[in-house]
Amino acid sequence: MSAATMDAISVDSLVKRFGSFVAVDGISFEVPAGSVFGLLGANGAGKSTAIRMLCGLLEPSSGSARIAGIDVTRDPEGVKRSIGYMSQRFSLYEDLTIAENLRFFAGLYGLSPSRARTEAERVLALTGLAGREDSLAGELPGGFRQRLALGCALLHAPRVLFLDEPTAGVDPLARRRFWDIIYAVAESGSTVLVTTHYLDEAEYCATVTLMHAGRIVAEGSPAGLKAEHFPSAMVEVVCEDPAAALALLAADKRVEEASLFGSKLHAALAPGFGDEAGAGEELVREALGAGGIAATSVERIPPSLEDVFIRVISGSAEADL
Amino acid sequence: MSRLASLVQKEFQQFRRDKKMRAIVIVAPIMQILVLGYAANMDVKDVPLAVYDQDRSAESRDLAAAFVSSGSFLLAASPQSNREVDETLSSGRAEIALVIPPDFGSRLEGRGSPSLQLLVDGSRANTAAVALAYASSVASNFSLRYAPAGIRVSLPVETRTRVWYNPELKSRVFMIPGVFALLLMVITIILTSLAIVKEKESGTLEQLIVTPLRKAELIAGKLAPFVIISLVIICLALVACYLFFGIAPRGSIPLLFLLSLALVFSTLGIGLLVSTIARTQQQAMMFSIFFFMFPMMILSGFVFPIANMPAPIRALTYLMPLRYYMIIVRGIFLKGSGLELLWPQLWPLLVIGVAVVSFSIARFRKQLD
Amino acid sequence: MKGRVGALVRKEYRHILRDPGTLGALLVIPLFLLAMFGWAISLDVNEVPLLVRDLDHSAESRALAAAFFASGRFTRVDDRGGDTGASLDSGRAAATLELPRGLARALGRGETAELQVLVDGSDATRAATVIGYIEGIVLRFGAEKLALKAAGSGRELPGALDSHPRVLFNQELKSVNNLVPGLVAIIIIISGVISTALAVVREKELGSMEQLIVSPLESWELIVGKTLPYATIGLVSAATVLTAGSLLFGVAVKGSLVELALMTTLFVFACLALGILISTIAPTQQVAFLASAMLTLLPTFLLSGFVFPIRNMPVVIQALTWLFPTKYYIEILQALMVKGVGIVSYWHQALGLLVYALAAASIAALRFARSRGR
Repeated sequence: MSAATMDAISVDSLVKRFGSFVAVDGISFEVPAGSVFGLLGANGAGKSTAIRMLCGLLEPSSGSARIAGIDVTRDPEGVKRSIGYMSQRFSLYEDLTIAENLRFFAGLYGLSPSRARTEAERVLALTGLAGREDSLAGELPGGFRQRLALGCALLHAPRVLFLDEPTAGVDPLARRRFWDIIYAVAESGSTVLVTTHYLDEAEYCATVTLMHAGRIVAEGSPAGLKAEHFPSAMVEVVCEDPAAALALLAADKRVEEASLFGSKLHAALAPGFGDEAGAGEELVREALGAGGIAATSVERIPPSLEDVFIRVISGSAEADL
Repeated sequence: MSRLASLVQKEFQQFRRDKKMRAIVIVAPIMQILVLGYAANMDVKDVPLAVYDQDRSAESRDLAAAFVSSGSFLLAASPQSNREVDETLSSGRAEIALVIPPDFGSRLEGRGSPSLQLLVDGSRANTAAVALAYASSVASNFSLRYAPAGIRVSLPVETRTRVWYNPELKSRVFMIPGVFALLLMVITIILTSLAIVKEKESGTLEQLIVTPLRKAELIAGKLAPFVIISLVIICLALVACYLFFGIAPRGSIPLLFLLSLALVFSTLGIGLLVSTIARTQQQAMMFSIFFFMFPMMILSGFVFPIANMPAPIRALTYLMPLRYYMIIVRGIFLKGSGLELLWPQLWPLLVIGVAVVSFSIARFRKQLD
Repeated sequence: MKGRVGALVRKEYRHILRDPGTLGALLVIPLFLLAMFGWAISLDVNEVPLLVRDLDHSAESRALAAAFFASGRFTRVDDRGGDTGASLDSGRAAATLELPRGLARALGRGETAELQVLVDGSDATRAATVIGYIEGIVLRFGAEKLALKAAGSGRELPGALDSHPRVLFNQELKSVNNLVPGLVAIIIIISGVISTALAVVREKELGSMEQLIVSPLESWELIVGKTLPYATIGLVSAATVLTAGSLLFGVAVKGSLVELALMTTLFVFACLALGILISTIAPTQQVAFLASAMLTLLPTFLLSGFVFPIRNMPVVIQALTWLFPTKYYIEILQALMVKGVGIVSYWHQALGLLVYALAAASIAALRFARSRGR
């Protein structure tokens, strides 16, 4: 197996127990080098625990994982040289400046002073923090802190980058910019594993894995997942009485599933209905009209990963029952 | 730059920014030496004395004068009844009372053996015993002055006493090196016991352990700055001792620094151990106060002699670095002792230091569990 | 109103109970320390290592040498030859004695013989006591010789002055009677000041303080809620120590228990006020810890008069002791426990404690309210 085809991350039946609580219940996946991999799930699904095991921060209860060719369960220290990690909570030194934080971590990764300088400049440019080197990390606004943390993780050009909820609490515009940086990193050859509970962000990933209660419940590319779980049309309804509309459509046999999204309604049609353009909307408008519910708009929309998630979770919940 | 050097540089950068800590580290040693040096004084001097003179003869007045001129006592009250005597003692106005019976003077002139009554407030047990001893000796010496005319009474045996190391018998000379040692112990344990826990609590430890930084380097990097800070504290304390009390080590100062490093090594190690075990700063503080600082303050021989302790406690003191350092510090300050005399105190310090630091490193795991 | 404070108090108790380490430390360690104090510590000067060099080798000199060791105060250090001072340098002996050649002859002729005494003066109090012992033994030996001679020649000599010493209040001069009050004070001040300061600053650091501040709680309710648990723990701890002290070492409270409870409560109040005051000044737990330790531990140990007499200190330092509530409390405890007297005797200390408590509480309350913006 040549290095080029070897996966950057390879996980096999990883399990983590805390006493009687099973946080991670046997997960397995592979991530090819140079791609952006998303680990999705609600809070408490086990994402952070999983990522910490991959970084050598937690010892797995059983199972194994290989990061950049090194078995992390057997040689956690060896892995740390080749990875970068950004934790969920801000874990840099608030009483040091940006420059001092960068210089410190450069030193820890064994960069010579001259190389540290060049890398720091590169990272500052990449994260858009140039010009703020002398600000104290503790005085930076939230989004900037995240960028600094990312920057510190990139100094040594790691082969694998682990980001745990990197955009938590950041505004959508800043999040977009953050993802631009992540893409740039992936393009340069590093592999990026991101955990997030923002399902819209998952669209940016090449491959996405959904975790729920410590297990993987879905895996694939975003487009692939959508196609797999929503082979037929999805219609969005805006009306004055969403609750009534929901009840009506849920009872309709031609609608496979209806759910509320805020004040809007998403109706997933059963296979065979509404495949041609316009047919789905027709169907729903007619059903609503028959039930006496006025609709402001009825529109076909592409399914989102959130839709996929809900379907998968409720599906697996039903399976559990 | 090496990983260790990076860590040490970061520690100093943080320390430089922390103004309050810096102030405390510089001011505290000076203040503590100053205040406690003055306070740590066990001399029995100017003990308030009450004299109930029932005789009012020339001899009884002479006796009272003898007490006062001894320098150990200060006339605080002249009660006129037994009840008043009790009152002066209960209220604390006097700590010792002398009751001279009415026939004192005549008995002293040779018609029988004179007697006195001394009453001591025992609630201050430490000073009461010594005050009593002083009083008894004043009384006995007084009696020797009175001999029947014509008979020269001289004692067949006299002593010529020379007091070494502290000829004026000032307790401060003994106490101040002790305060110096105590201070060093307290500050070094406080500094390190919080060092790692702080990073645990703030979350930065997670970022540290995900890097290639080795755990030995982490621990060394956390200790090294404190060693340097301790040296600064020692300098400040030495200067304070000299400036305020005129007390300087009789022995070699470089030796004092060297041996102090040995102590600092072991106390820093203790603080570090606490820091790796405790989960919050509050826990670390409680632990270090009650399990280490307090017992060492009491059992290290600072005030209470180790020789007086029962054997099992004495055995326990062999585990305490401060026990050895007390002897070292007092040896260098008072006796000018050299390395040959102090070596039996040095090697246990080194052993304890190595043991504690190694144990901390071994126990510490670069993982979050 | 009671409901709000009650909720805060309950929350605080839960915090404490969930941290068994701190709880254990506050309750168990004092008992351990009591055992130390009662059993291990004493300032008695006994078993002093003495080196006696007998250069006369006569019956008299041997008798004199024996007198020292018969007194029970000294233990024998062997004479390894060479300079006697070396034994002081190495610490093997605390004093050396040289009985000169010709001692017996001088005694026989009625002349005065001189003993050379060297004393390690490092520990001055101890040295003074040792000198006292030596001189006392020499005096007695000489007086006996004199009496023998006088009896032989038919004359009567004045007897040595007989002073009947009586020790009041603490007949056996047991150090533990003196130290238990100090221990009780230390326990209360540690749980009262240090814990309180830490607890409040910790809340500040974690940010949950903000939540409390914007709640409808009044400043005083907040303070009461935060400090009440520590007050109770301190009191329980102190009561445990007093009980243990009485059961194990017979340290009894000779005075009124009611007054003891009253004064202790006042002291606890003063400590809590001090703790809150510190918490309004310290921005981090580290600073809170250092500040409260510097203000409580060492000074309580050394300045409150329970080991070193305050009387001996320079006036400036004596004035400083007024800053520490322990000074008042320990004197009150000594009066109550050891002397068994009532408030009539210690009223000025009680007044001092009251004034202290009120002053600290007012300053703390002012600062606290100001930091809340109310």
